[in-house]
Amino acid sequence: MWRYVGRRLLLAIPTLLGASIIVFAMVHLAPGDPIAAILPVDASKEQIEDTKRAYGFDKPLPVQYLKWLGRVVQGDLGKSIATRRAVILDVRDSLANSLMLAVSSSLLAFGAGIALGLLAAFTQGRALDKMASAIAVIGVSVPHYWAGIILIIIFSVQLNWLPAMGASSDGGLVGYLRHMALPTIALALIPLGVIARVTRSAALDILNQEFVLALRAKGLAHRRVFAHVVKNAAPQIITVLGLQFGFQLGGSVLVEAVFSWPGTGYLLNLAIFQRDMPVLQGVILVLATFFVLLNLLVDVLQTYIDPRIARH
Amino acid sequence: MSVIALPEHLSTVAGAPMSYWRTVAWRLSRDRVTLVAGALLLLIALSALLAPWIAPHDPSAGAIRLRLAPVGTPSHLLGTDEQGRDMLSRLLWGGRMTLVAGLTPVVVAFLVGTVLGVIAGYAGGLVNTLVMRTMDIFYAFPAVLLAIAISGALGPGLPNTLISLSIVFIPRVVRVAESATVQVKGLEYVAAAKASGASVWQILRHHLLANILGPVLVFASTQVSLSIILAAGLSFLGLGVTPPAAEWGLMLNTLRQSIYVNAVVPALPGLAIFVTSMAFNLVSDGLRDAMEIRT
Amino acid sequence: MTRFIGFLVVAAVSLALAGSASAEGTLRIGMTAADIPYTGGQTDNGFEGFRFVGYQIYEPLINWDLSRSDKLPSLVPGLAESWEVSKSDPRKWIFKLRKNVKFHDGSAFNADAVLFTFDSIKNKQAAQFDQYGSAQISWRLSALKAMKKLDDYTIELETPTVTSFVPYQIVYMVIVSPAQWNKVKDWRKFAEQPSGTGPFKVARFVPRERLELEANKGYWDPKRTPKVDKVVLLPMPEPTTRLAALRSGQVDWIEVPPPDSIAQLKGSGFQIVTNKYPHNWGHILRLDKEPWNNKAVRKAANYAIDRVGICKNLLNDTCVPGTGVAYKGHPWFGNPKETYDYDPAKAKEILKAAGFDGISKRPARAVALISTSGSGQMLPLAMNELIQKNLKDVGIDVDLQPIEWNSLTQRFRIGFTGENAGVNALNISFNFLEPFSGFGRFFHSKSVPPTSVNIMPFVNPESDRLLDEAEKTFDLAKQDAILAKVHELVVDEAPWIFVVHDLNPRAMTSKVKGFVPPQSWFVDLTQVSVAR
Repeated sequence: MWRYVGRRLLLAIPTLLGASIIVFAMVHLAPGDPIAAILPVDASKEQIEDTKRAYGFDKPLPVQYLKWLGRVVQGDLGKSIATRRAVILDVRDSLANSLMLAVSSSLLAFGAGIALGLLAAFTQGRALDKMASAIAVIGVSVPHYWAGIILIIIFSVQLNWLPAMGASSDGGLVGYLRHMALPTIALALIPLGVIARVTRSAALDILNQEFVLALRAKGLAHRRVFAHVVKNAAPQIITVLGLQFGFQLGGSVLVEAVFSWPGTGYLLNLAIFQRDMPVLQGVILVLATFFVLLNLLVDVLQTYIDPRIARH
Repeated sequence: MSVIALPEHLSTVAGAPMSYWRTVAWRLSRDRVTLVAGALLLLIALSALLAPWIAPHDPSAGAIRLRLAPVGTPSHLLGTDEQGRDMLSRLLWGGRMTLVAGLTPVVVAFLVGTVLGVIAGYAGGLVNTLVMRTMDIFYAFPAVLLAIAISGALGPGLPNTLISLSIVFIPRVVRVAESATVQVKGLEYVAAAKASGASVWQILRHHLLANILGPVLVFASTQVSLSIILAAGLSFLGLGVTPPAAEWGLMLNTLRQSIYVNAVVPALPGLAIFVTSMAFNLVSDGLRDAMEIRT
Repeated sequence: MTRFIGFLVVAAVSLALAGSASAEGTLRIGMTAADIPYTGGQTDNGFEGFRFVGYQIYEPLINWDLSRSDKLPSLVPGLAESWEVSKSDPRKWIFKLRKNVKFHDGSAFNADAVLFTFDSIKNKQAAQFDQYGSAQISWRLSALKAMKKLDDYTIELETPTVTSFVPYQIVYMVIVSPAQWNKVKDWRKFAEQPSGTGPFKVARFVPRERLELEANKGYWDPKRTPKVDKVVLLPMPEPTTRLAALRSGQVDWIEVPPPDSIAQLKGSGFQIVTNKYPHNWGHILRLDKEPWNNKAVRKAANYAIDRVGICKNLLNDTCVPGTGVAYKGHPWFGNPKETYDYDPAKAKEILKAAGFDGISKRPARAVALISTSGSGQMLPLAMNELIQKNLKDVGIDVDLQPIEWNSLTQRFRIGFTGENAGVNALNISFNFLEPFSGFGRFFHSKSVPPTSVNIMPFVNPESDRLLDEAEKTFDLAKQDAILAKVHELVVDEAPWIFVVHDLNPRAMTSKVKGFVPPQSWFVDLTQVSVAR
């Protein structure tokens, strides 16, 4: 198995490199002069010359890329045009907030999603299945930013139970959690739906296998069947969990925009409107790296649980 | 959704495409939920298509004095938006934008992705590695992030949205197509066909495509809902369609301020996205069950 | 006897408690800025930066008197006790500085601090040159050529020409602490631990999230030592977010509530505060290229806008129609010939006569840079959508390009070149607090970038002549009359699309007491208290 892990790790490197190429290319994709994209508009001539030299804008693209990569690997993601702070600092702060949101949202989505999915599978065809499946479809179809707005209207403005925006730091842990409640729910909806559906499908696959049907017909204890189903459905479910956690971490932009939650998505959104390319690149690169490593982890975990999975 | 049990004499036989598709159709005809969802989709698509003729007003014409009229106002059945424009007309026209922005990337991804995936799967070896590892790189980005990254770099506007979303969905389709191709390639009857001297093209046409198109089609249909949500989401952020165009995501954004005056009208575009998205999901579910695809 | 003592004790205790209750309190404010304004001295984010950061943490030599709502603010002594034109040389001004003032870091304020600050803005060779801060403010200070220290508490300022505008520019230059800067030798670090002389000092700074200010108990003016203990500033560029934050009790005060929510807010017991102030919202036009190089097109555009619709219907009466730089009733309004009523038919006629036959034949195309929120920008997206429609109705096609507010202010200063090359209109709100801000910076040929912001560029010899005269006139009444003539000229030339004047709506909870809304962009937070 460790050979598999080693191989996967090795494979992750070209993926990461490739992702970095895409991020690097963004500056050159954007309309306009690449220098203008990474410097403030009133930059002095000296600043422009310095930056040109540091980034190697007068050299061929591959050389530019290598120079940039060299700096990135050392943690230098450039300087934000808007705050003039090192991008790595802005990203680090916001990443912490996004991780918190992703983790709590995942807990909700995974817990409720798996529960719903298993419920639906074990009561296949009956009313409970139909209800659970309906909830799942709704979850998958709802535009989460719209759901967020509705949640704000109901719980924040009308009922005044929960705060509407930000991540308050006065109010301590409880305050922070209260601020996190609504965005967590909004972000969890789609993953909840996806996880419920995949869980149901995976569980059904196993439940409908001949020998399981036979076991159930023989009246084997429900708990044993349940355990069997869970263990065998686990790999598929874990893959989806991993993907969805990645979605919640990287895809939280829309929810963070609605709730002004100061995470990477909020930073991304701001950077776009501030035309702050260094921040844009930095955030995307960091999130992509996270995602790749996450996928790697999921693959390894899957193999650990079921060594037969080791893919081609 | 439960798989409809098939009478014995109609069971599928892989490699005999005609009766397979007929059984799919038979199954679909028995699936009420899918039929209703399908009808709804048809209705949505038709109304979007016919918008220029059935919309009661010009979607960009509005009297500022009539802004945020409630649902049921005479001559403005669904009320007016924050600039005084008729909501019904804007929803109809907006449907075109949203559907175009939602479907086009998936269609593009379906075409390009299938071709790439089949080539990679059939060719194997170096070609496969090259294609699949390149797709992996794009897979390194969660969908929303990639869409925003590309849109953020290219700028707002419908064409850029279509490009960025196509780039998001192609790798996914390629994966499914490649995986299906590899599976089918290993089946015995394909080896038999090869042995009997059938050309690559013949094999592809008869055996592979029928058994690959199915899963890929179903997969693509599951992505439509996400594509619609993403396209509208990009407009919501200001990266997609620009004002004064009518598009559901953009409408959701500009109407956000107005939830305090009139909570119903601002909810309509979101509702439209939701219903369309759900209809696509139900139809794709039905398709998958009818075609007995396990993805 | 014991009863009397008991009464005294009770009275003393309740007085003490009452005193501490009114001195307590945290004022939490939701700003329209998308980020914390620069705290390093010469702030950014437009006047919202001055309002909440620049003028709270720091002070200039001359202050605005923000204590009254019923008249335009006048200039009063700040860190300078007095100032006058030198009798020997009318291009020199003498400032006598206030004594016994301390910066937040404890060091003393004196002439050295003023010179230090001046160099940080104007002297590129100085070690303390603040590239970013200088870019924010330098263009407002074109009349300040050089400064000299006469003694520890006297400064001599030299101007390039004889000008009465000096106090109006001095008021924007806030003084930073050299001692504090020399500890860190870097403006980024200084911004994290700033030191000024203002009534508030920085307690906590979380970039992009919040700025916490606390009362400066050692402030030199006992009448303006803050009543409130703490002020928390939160960036909230989305109007709905601000509203939700106010209603759910997360903040006590928000700038620019969504106009649609004002009736509801009033009904729920919130205070809505408005006042007219020297504010102008419009589109600044590029005058050296089509279509705006044609005066007829500019006039047509001005006749095409439904200002009443914007103010009454879109913005719920939180603004008044604007057909010039100043509003009617302002001493500079004068008697312009054009009234720019809403007249789309007239606009179409004018356009046709000028050779523009509508969108299909020979369209007049405008590409406008707008912001998504920001200081004085009101509700830019909704307003611009309406303007876009108004203009389209008469045959002028408008393409809107929204960017973030602070980015807009930076891009505004470079003019219609570089990144702005494809743009020919810019939607930005202006103040006309004093002659330079109102007219000098725009309508004089010497104000083209980088000196100042005449980016159009507006070059009119008569305007130059009138403005030069105004600058030499030290009699305020005579100066007003001259500026009124400038105004009439500008309204006729229509270098901008004039739209509205804002009424500065703010919403606050009923617990916020003591706030007097001045006829200004700035506010005095020292008299505000938040009841328990």
